[in-house]
Amino acid sequence: MSDSVISVSELTRRFGATTALASVSLSLPGGAVYGLVGANGAGKTTLIKHLLGLLRADSGSVRVFGLDPVADPVGVLSRIGYLSEENDLPGWMRVDELIRYSRAFYPAWDDGYADELRHMFALDPRAKITTLSKGQKARAGLLIALAHRPALLVLDEPSSGLDPIVRRDILGAVMRTIADEGRTVLFSSHLLEEVEQVADHVTMMHQGQLIVSAPLDAIRESHRVGERVPSLDEIFIALVGMAAAPARDR
Amino acid sequence: MRSPALAIAWELRQRHRWGLLAVAGYLLVVATIRFLIFGPSEPVLVNSARFAAVVSVPLTTTFVYLLAVFSFGFAGDLAARQSIYPARMFTLPVTNAALVGWPMLYGTAAMAVLWLAARLFAVWPSGIAIPLIWPALLAAALLAWTQALTWMPYGLPGIRLIVAVLCLAALDTVVLLAIHFKAGEPRMVAILAPQLPLAYLVARVAVARARRGDVPDWRGRSARSGEIADVRPRPRHHFSSPGRAQLWFEWRQDGRSLPALVGLLLPFELALLWLAKDAPASIFEVLFLALLTPPFMAACTAWTVSRPNPQARDSYGLPPFIATRPLTSGELIAARLTMAWWSTLAAWLLVLVATPLALEWSGAWSVVIDRVRRMHEAIGTPRAATVVLLILAAFIVATWKQLVQSLHIGLTGRAWIVKGSVLLTLTLLILLGPIVEWIIDSPSLQRALWHALPLILAALVGLKMPAAAWIATRLDRSRLLSGRALIAGAACWLVAVLGLYGVFVWFFSTPFVARYVLALIAILAVPLARVSAAPLALAWNRHR
Repeated sequence: MSDSVISVSELTRRFGATTALASVSLSLPGGAVYGLVGANGAGKTTLIKHLLGLLRADSGSVRVFGLDPVADPVGVLSRIGYLSEENDLPGWMRVDELIRYSRAFYPAWDDGYADELRHMFALDPRAKITTLSKGQKARAGLLIALAHRPALLVLDEPSSGLDPIVRRDILGAVMRTIADEGRTVLFSSHLLEEVEQVADHVTMMHQGQLIVSAPLDAIRESHRVGERVPSLDEIFIALVGMAAAPARDR
Repeated sequence: MRSPALAIAWELRQRHRWGLLAVAGYLLVVATIRFLIFGPSEPVLVNSARFAAVVSVPLTTTFVYLLAVFSFGFAGDLAARQSIYPARMFTLPVTNAALVGWPMLYGTAAMAVLWLAARLFAVWPSGIAIPLIWPALLAAALLAWTQALTWMPYGLPGIRLIVAVLCLAALDTVVLLAIHFKAGEPRMVAILAPQLPLAYLVARVAVARARRGDVPDWRGRSARSGEIADVRPRPRHHFSSPGRAQLWFEWRQDGRSLPALVGLLLPFELALLWLAKDAPASIFEVLFLALLTPPFMAACTAWTVSRPNPQARDSYGLPPFIATRPLTSGELIAARLTMAWWSTLAAWLLVLVATPLALEWSGAWSVVIDRVRRMHEAIGTPRAATVVLLILAAFIVATWKQLVQSLHIGLTGRAWIVKGSVLLTLTLLILLGPIVEWIIDSPSLQRALWHALPLILAALVGLKMPAAAWIATRLDRSRLLSGRALIAGAACWLVAVLGLYGVFVWFFSTPFVARYVLALIAILAVPLARVSAAPLALAWNRHR
């Protein structure tokens, strides 16, 4: 699909005897917020690492903006804002140094927006990263992921480290803004309530396989029981239970 | 497993089982060499290469490894203010005495076993009188103090290393003085035995403080002086390119280590000029030592590239923060190579500024000037100046080479490659001594080697050039480097080889060494294959 921001075809990845991704195929058009959900170890981070070119596919193909992220890391990474689950910002940098360093890599870096985000996140420019709290580090990571207004924002478990109020307000606002501008957001989480609040489209993973990938409304509609629309939590548990059943039977 | 003592022992053993097995195997190989090759009754002289091979190198390596194992040095950040004692163990329902006592006891036992094994396998029965107890006590005391001082929380980052080095050096000095004054075993035991309970008490205080989160913070004092500087408008210039930004990153992260280490060592080395000013030969020995410092320290700092990051999930892998920079692997390597140049130049700037000052202040200048004058009279000014400049250039290039030649190992991000290369280096170090001694002892072997030298050099070139060609092909196919960059790199390498060859021809114009031998040496001396392999190693690490 030519208008797909992300196109994954028959992607398989093994780590020793463990199959982390098993023939995953996915096509995500631009301009929406995609939630990637699944239990711990479902393969969310492995899939995201393939999109960033940090992992090479054993078989199948990965295209982001129509490019292979392993063959053309600059072409892909310059259009992506990424907040890592590990949040490994260099501890020796000060916040202003992190901003100055990061802006060199992105021609579209918006100084005004970076300043606005820094004030919104209450980050002291002279503070060293190592002295920041976990939540502040996540905010600093989010700042450099957002300030170049990326065409694709990838957030890997962004909720970890942010307190509930800030998490809901900031992430909701950011994602909506980016989606409104025609940009794309892919975020992984195992907190389904959070996904329900902001995602237009949900992809569920279980044991390295996609069990569903559809618009959130369509998923809800398809699981409606009379007048009652089940929560994403309930839908996930029902689908994962179905996916796990054949394995148990075996 | 019902006791904390067994649980702690199990953790230490399980976590380091491969390393400890490797150490055991290593000592076994040394013992085999000792008994089967040298012969059990052959004396091992203290100043011989054989002594280095069968005693010094294995003993020192194993000692350092055990030091790191029992002080939890592999898991902690030595430069941090916080204790390196694993914080997760503070929540165990055991007393501070147990947390401190068991690792200390196991460490002491390991050090004693190490000494007894070394004494038994490597030295005994050579007929040399070797003390039985005090060296084991010294090793145990050094470990106990390392544990106490590294487990202590400090007020400033980096203080731990300084305090530990100073205290351990003080203990070493006391022991050296005792040896100098020919103290017997009972007196040495009397000096060293109290160190263990003393270190235990300090370690208990350290762990108790760390456990209750009592970490002093003196950064406020240094920050206050920093605030005065912060009143001034901070320069906010932007980097002109991503490459410049990455170069700045590399410099800030790793580039300052070499100049800092050289800056720390140099004053102590140059201080020897005051002692040696009446002995011209000693002055030149000190100067040679100062010139050797940057390449030697570069070889040490080069390994920091492959140091594991205990905080990261994949401790040897490239951090996602760097891996997701929109730069090619070639550009990331270029920044590192350039940083290595800056680091080299900064270290040499220190040497070139400090050495003349020390010569002047110590009054040793006249000796150096006299030697230079004699050289000028013997070979003329242009040749003398060229010799000095070439020697200096050789040292500078050697420093840079030391910094970059192991990049292709460290950047792979594979623990088995990094650890394997360390093991290989240590094995070569063990074998090097006996081989050198064997060659020195055998004039017929020396003659055979001299005759075979062109063949050996040709074989090495025969290995190097196809390896470089294969790497260039891989770089081209994977598009890590453009065709233009590859051709430019090859052209630079060729120019360097031709230049070095010209220098060799100019210097060694003798019928005893054929020109083609000089060409082969020049080809081998200029780095090519290993440096070229660095982008491949990085790409392999970055795209796993």
